[in-house]
Amino acid sequence: MNSSDQGPLIERAREALRTVIDPELGYNIVDLGLIYEVSIDDTGLAYVLMTTTTRGCPATSYLQEGARESIAQLPGIAGVDVVLTHDPEWSPQKMTAEARHYLGIEEENLR
Amino acid sequence: MSYFAAALVALLAAESLMAAGWGFPNAPIGAPATLLLVHLVVLGWLSLLLCGALFQFVPVLVAKPLYSARLPLPALILLLGGIIALLSGFLGLNGALTAKLPFFPLASVLLAAGFGLVLWNLGCTLWRARPLGLPARFVVVGLLGLAATVAIGITFALVLAGDTTTPTALRLFADGLPIHIIAGLGGWLSLTAMGVSYRLLAMFMLAPEPDRRSTRAVLQLGAWALGVAVLGGTTAILVRRGAALVFSAAGVLGLLTVVLYARDIVHLYQARKRRVLELNSRMAAAAVGSLLVAALLMVVLGSMGTLGRDAGAVVFLVVFGWLSGLGLAKLYKIVPFLTWLECYGPVLGKAPTPRVQDLVAEQRAGKWFGLYFLAVWAGTVALFLDSAWAFRAAAALLLVGTAGIVLQLVRARRLADVPASARFPGGSVRPPLVLSLTRSH
Repeated sequence: MNSSDQGPLIERAREALRTVIDPELGYNIVDLGLIYEVSIDDTGLAYVLMTTTTRGCPATSYLQEGARESIAQLPGIAGVDVVLTHDPEWSPQKMTAEARHYLGIEEENLR
Repeated sequence: MSYFAAALVALLAAESLMAAGWGFPNAPIGAPATLLLVHLVVLGWLSLLLCGALFQFVPVLVAKPLYSARLPLPALILLLGGIIALLSGFLGLNGALTAKLPFFPLASVLLAAGFGLVLWNLGCTLWRARPLGLPARFVVVGLLGLAATVAIGITFALVLAGDTTTPTALRLFADGLPIHIIAGLGGWLSLTAMGVSYRLLAMFMLAPEPDRRSTRAVLQLGAWALGVAVLGGTTAILVRRGAALVFSAAGVLGLLTVVLYARDIVHLYQARKRRVLELNSRMAAAAVGSLLVAALLMVVLGSMGTLGRDAGAVVFLVVFGWLSGLGLAKLYKIVPFLTWLECYGPVLGKAPTPRVQDLVAEQRAGKWFGLYFLAVWAGTVALFLDSAWAFRAAAALLLVGTAGIVLQLVRARRLADVPASARFPGGSVRPPLVLSLTRSH
């Protein structure tokens, strides 16, 4: 089974990641656009590529560990590899409409 | 957190002394009582606050861990010992302390060692993170200001103790006070606070950092103001020529720095993505506004030729409106944030966690901040009117406002405003009140 066959498990992983909030913005890291990639190979090894809202964020290690913990407890997951990147840098444009609405960010302010 | 706790104790102690009528304006501006009060505020409160904040935020500014996580504690112990020795020295000058211990030399050694450790730790952290971004370069200039302030302060202390009578030291002691004040309030405290504020305000309000050319101009003007005051001022004093001109030039450069900085901050607030401002950002605006008013007052008083007479009022506005106001506003963000990391960081992903905002009650805290800033502005007016009783009344209000803010910080630390059902998810534990348990990233 390759990664493309893991669609339902990837969806469950993304759902699990939604239990992790960015403490400062108070919203889940998936809808804030902090998760760049989630893939799971046929051995059940999950790979998460994520970022933080700012370089050097003091919560970085907790967010990485939280992302790992949230997925590791899912059935079918053998291990989790969480990699941090700032390429590309996060920007508010990466948020979903729901997250923007929650934070009171208007569409026109994003430009 | 230990730095912040010690700093807040010093602030409350200083405000209690002011409310009790200790020091200026009841005593002359150069009296030992005033010197004690001033150093309790700028060393005990502001410098400890800024050192504690820099140990947290220099790693954020440069995205690299602190050079040593162990040095801040011995540095704090040395600094506290130095501050107590220095204040004891002033009490001795005042005649209130009769013990004949060498307080000033002791204070010199302890403060030099304490600030030396701070400078070494932060300096190595910054050095390893080269090339530095603009906010971090503000901190570098601020740390140079700290080094200059401490060096001149030690010279003063040794002269006061009678341990040095070299002509250079005596000349500096006689005329070098403006260098000590400009390097301390302007270089160390203000430039560092400016650099950190650019990054923190942009982070908290989701604002793009301001136009780099403008920010670079603020840094360059600030660095020139500091350089002219310290190097030019020292030279002018030693050759006994042109000191007034040099300090005026530094003052003009400093004013331009403030005006450009205030323009940058206005731009930052206008460009923010997060439309609803949190209390810490609203109060930071009040602090920057106080700085701008102080700068305008300096221009007006300077042109009227009364700056010397009213310097106390302007310094009070800078210290309590700008530096302390910004410090308290940012503490209201930093303390809940660190508390969240300590309590809820370890259970993230294992259990639902509250937000940082759930640790605070902004509406309640807003009233205490409102009282604080009203008291600062009332105190400034009282000093202009030369009314000692009105100043004491304002200082009493300042003390009440500050105590209210400190109580809100303690409540955040104790998780008192988090609903009981959400307070300890997944086996999380309440952090100690004063010690900080965050891990490095």
